[in-house]
Amino acid sequence: MKTIDRYVYAVTRRLPDAQRKDVADELRSLIEDMVYERVQDRDVTEEDVEDVLLELGPPKNLARKYRGTKKYVIGPELYDLYTMVLKISLISTVAAFSAVFIIQVILNPINIVDYFVNYLVSFFTILPMVFGWITLGFALAEYFGNGALEKLQQDKEWKPSNLPPVPDPKRQIKRREPIAGIVFYVLVIVILAFSNDYFGIWIFREDRFAGIVSFLNEDTYGSFLVVILIVFGFGIVKECLKFFYEKWTYSLVGFTAAVNLFSIVLVLFIMTDALFWNPNFMNELVQHGFVIKGSESYETIRLIWEQLTFWMLILLIFGLLWDVIAGGIKVRKAK
Amino acid sequence: MSDAHDHIDKLMQELRRGTITIGALSQLYEPRYGYSLITTLKKKGIQVEAGTLYPLLRRLEKQGLLESNWDTNEARPRKYYVLSNTGKEVLDLVRVEWLNIVASMDNLMMKRGGEDEND
Repeated sequence: MKTIDRYVYAVTRRLPDAQRKDVADELRSLIEDMVYERVQDRDVTEEDVEDVLLELGPPKNLARKYRGTKKYVIGPELYDLYTMVLKISLISTVAAFSAVFIIQVILNPINIVDYFVNYLVSFFTILPMVFGWITLGFALAEYFGNGALEKLQQDKEWKPSNLPPVPDPKRQIKRREPIAGIVFYVLVIVILAFSNDYFGIWIFREDRFAGIVSFLNEDTYGSFLVVILIVFGFGIVKECLKFFYEKWTYSLVGFTAAVNLFSIVLVLFIMTDALFWNPNFMNELVQHGFVIKGSESYETIRLIWEQLTFWMLILLIFGLLWDVIAGGIKVRKAK
Repeated sequence: MSDAHDHIDKLMQELRRGTITIGALSQLYEPRYGYSLITTLKKKGIQVEAGTLYPLLRRLEKQGLLESNWDTNEARPRKYYVLSNTGKEVLDLVRVEWLNIVASMDNLMMKRGGEDEND
């Protein structure tokens, strides 16, 4: 009865360890019952066994019936969120490496073919990676958070009065706004993380790229990058909330205010730290022959450079404050 | 015609899925092992495949409607299933529901063409 053993094994190896022995015993006794009913008093032949196994069907199907319940990696509760996150991430990723590609071509048009090949290759290496990680994340959430998710869906007794109001167009946040926001943040993060050396003044001599005078201090950049990533990470959280609320409310304005305040503090901390900026900025400009030391334009640029921090801060703070104020106004208007 | 057959298959599958569970429960006041349950059900006109019934029995046991015991005294060891107390309670309630459904469905299905005497 080797065939029976093989069949039983083929079914049970697809089942959780704890069930295996029991299912195997039960299945074996079932198959023997079926075989003996078939042969009555004759001797059992291999053909009888095969007929019975054919009746039971492919082991894979039987194992699936034993496993029952879940036949998906990401269930219906998470699926919408999953596709959305996936869409945003893939769009951001493509946008990010398209931007890198364009920058590379501008800097060095001669190598366009190489860059283009790299660009194409990244579609096959990076995109599946993004896809894989997101899917894995959601699969884990599904696996470990299943009970919690069901509770989340069921615990509130639904009443028609719970229906959300039809959004007031004045307060409404269009879905594409936070999506564009998230894509933007991701893009900036990628550029800052991987291409920060392009962040500066590009020097061209005789129409050829001659180098970059970086705005940032490359020695200390790494430690600042962490803080920058935190700021942008909070930005992404904020955009996500906008996406879910779908309209401006006081609590959303409050949260936006908190996130933005936090960002302002961190940004202040970064930008006012002299170590953040390239200490040799002016010298490097002179070295590249961009300006002549002591000339009038040198002084102007030096002034701009020194004022730059201040004005960027003002601009940034203004932008973040405006984000809160605009939201607040929209809530007020709708009342 | 094969189109109609497809529809029938699908509808019958849905119908069976619900009825097999209570059908199996209804025969388990006395302990039985899977294959004998299949034979009993077959005799009473309910066809069910072993590949469907065996996993179903395990699931019902896990849910607490059935209890099981291995009998190793016979030539072949067999796993016997029987209704638990919860199972009996549930089955009694389901029986009432079922009779209601049968009565209502009979009422709906017996007349062809949708004529309604109360109309």
